[in-house]
Amino acid sequence: MTLFVHLFAGTGTFEFLSPGILLAVAVTCLAASLYLLLPKSGRHGKTSRRVGWLIGLITLGLFITTGQRLGNLGDEAVFLIVSLVAVVSAVATITCRSPVYAAIWFALCLAGVSGVLLVLGAQFLGVATIVVYAGAILVMFLFVLMLAQPSGLTTSDRITNEPMLSAVAGGVLLGLLSLSIGRLSAEEPLCCRPPSKAAALGAITVEKVPTESVDLLTSDQVARLGGELFGRHLVAVEAVGILLLVALIGAIAIVSNGLEGSQVETSSLHEGSRS
Amino acid sequence: MTTLLLLGTSLALLQNGLVVGAILFSLGLVGILSRRNLIVMFLSAELMLQGISVSLVAWSRYHGDFGGHVLVIFVLSVAACEAAIALVFVLQAFTRTGRLDSSAWQSLRETTLDRSIDHEIPSLDTSMPSFPRLTPAGRSPDTDEQAGMQREHV
Repeated sequence: MTLFVHLFAGTGTFEFLSPGILLAVAVTCLAASLYLLLPKSGRHGKTSRRVGWLIGLITLGLFITTGQRLGNLGDEAVFLIVSLVAVVSAVATITCRSPVYAAIWFALCLAGVSGVLLVLGAQFLGVATIVVYAGAILVMFLFVLMLAQPSGLTTSDRITNEPMLSAVAGGVLLGLLSLSIGRLSAEEPLCCRPPSKAAALGAITVEKVPTESVDLLTSDQVARLGGELFGRHLVAVEAVGILLLVALIGAIAIVSNGLEGSQVETSSLHEGSRS
Repeated sequence: MTTLLLLGTSLALLQNGLVVGAILFSLGLVGILSRRNLIVMFLSAELMLQGISVSLVAWSRYHGDFGGHVLVIFVLSVAACEAAIALVFVLQAFTRTGRLDSSAWQSLRETTLDRSIDHEIPSLDTSMPSFPRLTPAGRSPDTDEQAGMQREHV
C-alpha cells in the first residue's frame, strides 16, 4: 500500500494530501466507524455495522499509507499482517455484542500482539503473552463469564453508554498520540539530543551517562533478559512476588467474606436501570 | 526469522510499533468508556495494557536496552493480579444483582446526578445463524434430558 502511494506521489496525484490531512481524515474515519460498529439502539443495525466495517477498512488503509516504511518488503508484509490481526480483532473485541465472542476475539488479538512483539525482537515476551494472557487470564475470564452469564443476551449487551462521545474521545486520543509519534522523525535521536534549556541554565546539572547500546537480538537474549531481571531489578521482582501473594490471599478472603454476606439481598440495587 | 530480526534499531520500526500500541490503547479506551458489561470492560482494560506493552517493547528495541522488556514482565504479573481480584469482585457483584451490567450499580452515584434510564432497548435478534448439518445416518440417539438446561445462545 505504501509502495502504491509512493508510485502515485511521483505522478503528483497525492501531492495535495499532506500527512496531517491524511491523519485527520483517518482519525475522523476511525471515530465514525467505531460509532457505527458499537451496539446501540436503532433500526438499521446490520447495515450500520457493514458500513462501519467498510469505513474501518478505509481507516486502516489510511494509517498504513501514513506509516513509515521499514525498508524491506518482506519485513513490512510480516509486520503489516500481525498488526492488522491485532487491530482488527481488537475492534471486534470492543464491538461484539456477546461477551463470550468478545473474549475469543481478544484471544486472537493477543496472538496478533505476540506476533508484533516477536517482530520487535522480544521473543520471550511474545511467548509469555500467549502463555500468560491467552492461557491463564483469558481462560479465567471465560470461566467467570460462563459462571455468571445469564442465558441469552442481556439488554445491557445490546446498548452502550454514549457511543458517539466515547468514539470521538478514542479518535482524539489516537490523533494526538499519532501526531506526537510522527514528530519523532523530525528530531534527532533522543540519546543525541542537546541538553534542554533548563539543563543549560544550570538548574540541574545533568550528566549524560553514555550507555553502550546493546544488541538485543543475540541468541542468548532470554538469558541476558533473566540476568537483567534478577540483577538490576531484583528488589522489584521481590515486590511483584509479594504483590502476587497479596492478590492470592485477598481473592480468597473476598470470596469467603462475600459468601457469608451474599444472603443479604439488596433489593434497591436489583431495580437497576430498568425503571 | 533471522532476516526479520536483523531489522536494526531503525526509527521507522519504533514509530510503527508505537502507532500499533496507540491504536490498541485508544480502542481499549473506547471499549471501557462505552461498554456496559463488566467483563467486557475488563477485557478493554487488558487491551490498553497490551498497547502499553507493545510501545514499551518498541522503545526497548530502539534504545537497545532491556528495561522495556523487564517493565512488560511486571505489567504481565500486575495484570494477572488485577484480573484475579477484579473477577472476584465481578462474581460478587453478579451474585448480588444477578446481572453483569455496570449500570445495575448506579445507585452508588452522586445524589446530584440523574439516573441513566434506557429509553430505547433494541429488540433481540432472534434469527439464529444457520449452522451446517450432517445428514443423519443410523438410529437417532436418545434425547438428552439436559437439553432444556442448555442456553440457546451465548
